[in-house]
Amino acid sequence: MSVDSFFLLIGGGVVTGTLGAMLGLGGGVFLTPFLVLVFNLPMHQAIATSILAVIATSSAGAAMNVERRIVNLRLGMTLEVATVIGAIFGGLTANVLSGEVLSRAFAVLLLCVSFMMLWRMKHSRGISTPIEAGAFPASFKDEAAGEVVSYSVARVPWVMGVSLIAGNISGLLGVGGGIFKVPAMNLISGMPLKAATATSNFMIGVTAAASAFIYFAHGHLNPLIASPAVLGVLMGSFLGVRINRRIKGASLTWIFAAVLFVISLKMFWR
Amino acid sequence: MMLSESAVDRHIVERWISWTLRIGVWGSATLMALGLVLAWFSSGTLRLPSENPRPADVLHSLLSGSLDPVMLMFAGLLFLMLTPFLRVLTAAVGFAAEKDRTFVIVALVVFAMLLAELVFSLQ
Repeated sequence: MSVDSFFLLIGGGVVTGTLGAMLGLGGGVFLTPFLVLVFNLPMHQAIATSILAVIATSSAGAAMNVERRIVNLRLGMTLEVATVIGAIFGGLTANVLSGEVLSRAFAVLLLCVSFMMLWRMKHSRGISTPIEAGAFPASFKDEAAGEVVSYSVARVPWVMGVSLIAGNISGLLGVGGGIFKVPAMNLISGMPLKAATATSNFMIGVTAAASAFIYFAHGHLNPLIASPAVLGVLMGSFLGVRINRRIKGASLTWIFAAVLFVISLKMFWR
Repeated sequence: MMLSESAVDRHIVERWISWTLRIGVWGSATLMALGLVLAWFSSGTLRLPSENPRPADVLHSLLSGSLDPVMLMFAGLLFLMLTPFLRVLTAAVGFAAEKDRTFVIVALVVFAMLLAELVFSLQ
């Protein structure tokens, strides 16, 4: 492999990491199609690389959110029991499926994500009434609103079910699965969106690690590809969070939902 | 102003987890970046070993002071993969320091599952 290829991978990682962070989707949603469609990487290697990028971005974000106490630590640790089980089975399943099947499954996932993005835009404020009699009571300081938000979590078994599925998708296709967990934690359990997003992101690193060694053991982790891509995505995620604070709007969501739709078609019929 | 002992200890687990994650991300990124820089300076093309090295081989290469770019990248990736393991273990120790027995058990259950996956995969 030529050393010059590293620049393409770092650049691709920066772009996909920036887009993922800007749109709140994580790095994997754009990184895997980039590696497969632009770099012609086999699907299993692309997923393994994406899993590593997901661990890096989740860990970097969680380090800040845990310190600020936006993460509901005890809820996150409890839900990790479900996401880890899901991810291990997802990783084992992925390694008996062909690249073509995984590519088509990823295309269906992208289709779901593009619809979820539009749905989320219409429900961007989430539910605002905190549930008082639930489990895992917590509070955090909402710096934008300048107030302390107290809440508790209802219907935990339902969110555990969603976490199990999200973990399974993570292990199978190398994405974080936050696009499914966050609405469930907000709409089913009544968590404030900020706490739900931070807690979901906190879990993603452990979930991804649960399948990472399965891909490593099957020889799907290529350090010459994964290292530059992961570093690129990590840089891009920091950039994306900064841009996200300035750019918000329905038009951006519509544009990228359409982009994901096109990528989905390309992944299905490649 | 002096904080009471309980106020100091209440969020010990959050601080420990935050530092574990920071060390994991920046430590692994440094190893990978070092590998990439050395690869950049080594002329020609880079070749992978015929199969992925065992984690013990990577650790041995690192401790022996070898600056093999591919091994450094492998070391960075393995350190990154192990960071969530360390985070869960840190949480268990932190919960124990906070005397929260229930969540010590929850953290250890998660750690046991991760460890089982690791051992099963590397066999």
